[in-house]
Amino acid sequence: MPIIECREVCKNFGEKKALDHVSLSIPEGKIFGLLGPNGAGKTTLIRIINRITIPSSGEVLFGDRPITQKDVEKIGYMPEERGLYRKMKVGEQALYLAQLKGMGRADAQKALKEWFVRFGIQDWWNKKVEELSKGMAQKLQFITTVVHRPSLMILDEPFSGFDPVNADIVRQEILRLRDEGATVILSTHNMESVEELCDNIALINKSRLVVTGGLEDIRRRYGNDNIELVYTDAEGRHTEVLPRESDGRATLAAYMEKGVQINSYRELMPRMNDIFIKLVTGEDRI
Amino acid sequence: MNFRTINLVIGREYSTRVKKKSFLILTFVVPVLFAVLCFLPSYLMLHTKEKTQQVAVIDNSGIVMPWLESGESAVYTDFSGSEADSVKASLATLGMDVLVVISPLDSAASVSVQTFSNKPAGVDFADALKSKVNKAVEDYRIRSYDIAGLDKILKDVKADIKVQEFTLGEDGRETVSESGIYMIVSMIFGMIIYMFIALFGGMVLSSVIEEKSSKVIEVIVSSVKAIDLMFGKIIGIALVALTQFLLWIILTMVLLVGANAAFGLSDMVKSADTAQMMQMAAPGMDAGVDLETLAQEGPDELSVVLTTIANIPWGKMLIAFLVFFILGYLLYASMFAAIGSAVENEADSSQLQLPATIPLVIGFFIAFIAMRNPYSAVVWWGSIIPFTSPIVMLARIPYGVPGWEIVLSAVLLLLTFMLIAWASAKIYKAGILVFGQKSTWKDLWKWLKQK
Repeated sequence: MPIIECREVCKNFGEKKALDHVSLSIPEGKIFGLLGPNGAGKTTLIRIINRITIPSSGEVLFGDRPITQKDVEKIGYMPEERGLYRKMKVGEQALYLAQLKGMGRADAQKALKEWFVRFGIQDWWNKKVEELSKGMAQKLQFITTVVHRPSLMILDEPFSGFDPVNADIVRQEILRLRDEGATVILSTHNMESVEELCDNIALINKSRLVVTGGLEDIRRRYGNDNIELVYTDAEGRHTEVLPRESDGRATLAAYMEKGVQINSYRELMPRMNDIFIKLVTGEDRI
Repeated sequence: MNFRTINLVIGREYSTRVKKKSFLILTFVVPVLFAVLCFLPSYLMLHTKEKTQQVAVIDNSGIVMPWLESGESAVYTDFSGSEADSVKASLATLGMDVLVVISPLDSAASVSVQTFSNKPAGVDFADALKSKVNKAVEDYRIRSYDIAGLDKILKDVKADIKVQEFTLGEDGRETVSESGIYMIVSMIFGMIIYMFIALFGGMVLSSVIEEKSSKVIEVIVSSVKAIDLMFGKIIGIALVALTQFLLWIILTMVLLVGANAAFGLSDMVKSADTAQMMQMAAPGMDAGVDLETLAQEGPDELSVVLTTIANIPWGKMLIAFLVFFILGYLLYASMFAAIGSAVENEADSSQLQLPATIPLVIGFFIAFIAMRNPYSAVVWWGSIIPFTSPIVMLARIPYGVPGWEIVLSAVLLLLTFMLIAWASAKIYKAGILVFGQKSTWKDLWKWLKQK
């Protein structure tokens, strides 16, 4: 069953249409990639799911019923524009945000201490936020997003601002939370992390939904499934990309007759990057 | 409305502000300043009186010296016949503070007076000297008419007129009053409420801007409804204001009581409580109320001042202060919240702020008019029309305002607040999520109309 279902969601800002009849469903317990170029309407859709903005028409279901303000306590949101109260102490700040999400003070304190230890920032509890380095502040932001054990996490560009080591820690945490049953909406321009993490995706362009579905399905549907042939002859190694329609047996036979050594012959999975560009610009680079 | 989250917002706004150093400093500095302002003039007046000036007089006219009666403030010693220059040169060694040289009588039967001193002798001294010399010259002139029985005539014509002010109460009772006191009380209350609204309304503005500029706003509104956040903020800061006000009252009272004990001023107020007792006290030895007028106008005045102060409707004033401060603050705070939602840093806010600060400043100016001219039409309308009414009404109340006018003004203010709060909430909700543009009043209008 989907945890979130958007039905014909529209949002207008004056004359401007930010979302135009977007319908999609986000399956529970999976990582869902929300893709699209800048200004496509991703942030508006995220804000509607979060109930920060109200759709002009259409509805959002949480589970099997329309989403309510109470449900936002089950959502953890990390916006792309990160921010914390700079003058507040780290611990106070984290407690405040956790309590806003419905946690009791004592519970929040206990859970936060555990997360602080896990991320190695336990010594910073009484420091002011403005004293934190950017990476530390990012960690704190991530902790405050997940500390109340949300069943849905909405992460907008979660890896930006992290060094590779910390980005990997966050990646592992996302996977761990998914394995514990949480659903993740991942909005990112980083197609590698989409390929690596996402089970399902939706692509939005110019306020409209372009495609949604399982990652593998989409790759298969929009990729051309080309074939890559690697061989070695007297001049060295060569890589050749062949259309799928080509007759494999005949091609291989032809090459072998030339007396070259075949290194590999395999189906090429289309890269999400190329699918993205193809769907957004109409240019076929696959 | 989710009261749990509103309470959390209120708690954060309150505790972060109350824990700030600036809050503590303000809390302690203002009462000290206030106490100093209350006491310094009385203290100085009392203590400077004790210093008696030693005055050397060279009277070349021969008529002035008998009129220079030594008193507490000055002792006059006759140096007539001495050389002015030699006295000047040895003023200090003679134990004198001031040398007064009076010229011989001229053809118009007048004299000129010069004073010489190492330190300025002071305005009070000069005034006292002037009036004494005037009397001497007037006496000399009138005697030159050779009128028989002059002394008796002079005694008979001497007049000492006082104007007594009465305020006609609604019950027809007449009460003694003193306009100056009303003016001071009116001014103090008008100023305080203006300062409070500007100070704490401004705090709401910077709090909204801070959330936007630090980008924390989007995280917060994903947990709290924007409207709850706005009102939580406004209420939290209102509580800070009330806390501060309460602490100021308590600390000021502690300081005043302490200062009273130290300088014994209240004893004098008590002893001066009745006009009778006051007549025994020397002029100038009076309570810390309105010393100058008292000293000059005679003993009966103090009881008038005290009656006036007692007759100011204090209970009404305090309740009105709280009601009008809270309503006025709420009105301006919600406007400031809407304005703050449109800007990302404080520097950009000044232009948008103008339409909100102008009525506040106008209110302040009308309050100034009210102080001197409490019954003018401008003042009446200023105290009824919301935006200016919190300040102007407070300035009017010491002079007495019918109950229905206060209620009308408060109700209008409340209704305006509700209207403005509704509009501000709409603007705020849209504005806090708009980044990367310099918003204008046109944008605010657009957000207001947005569904």
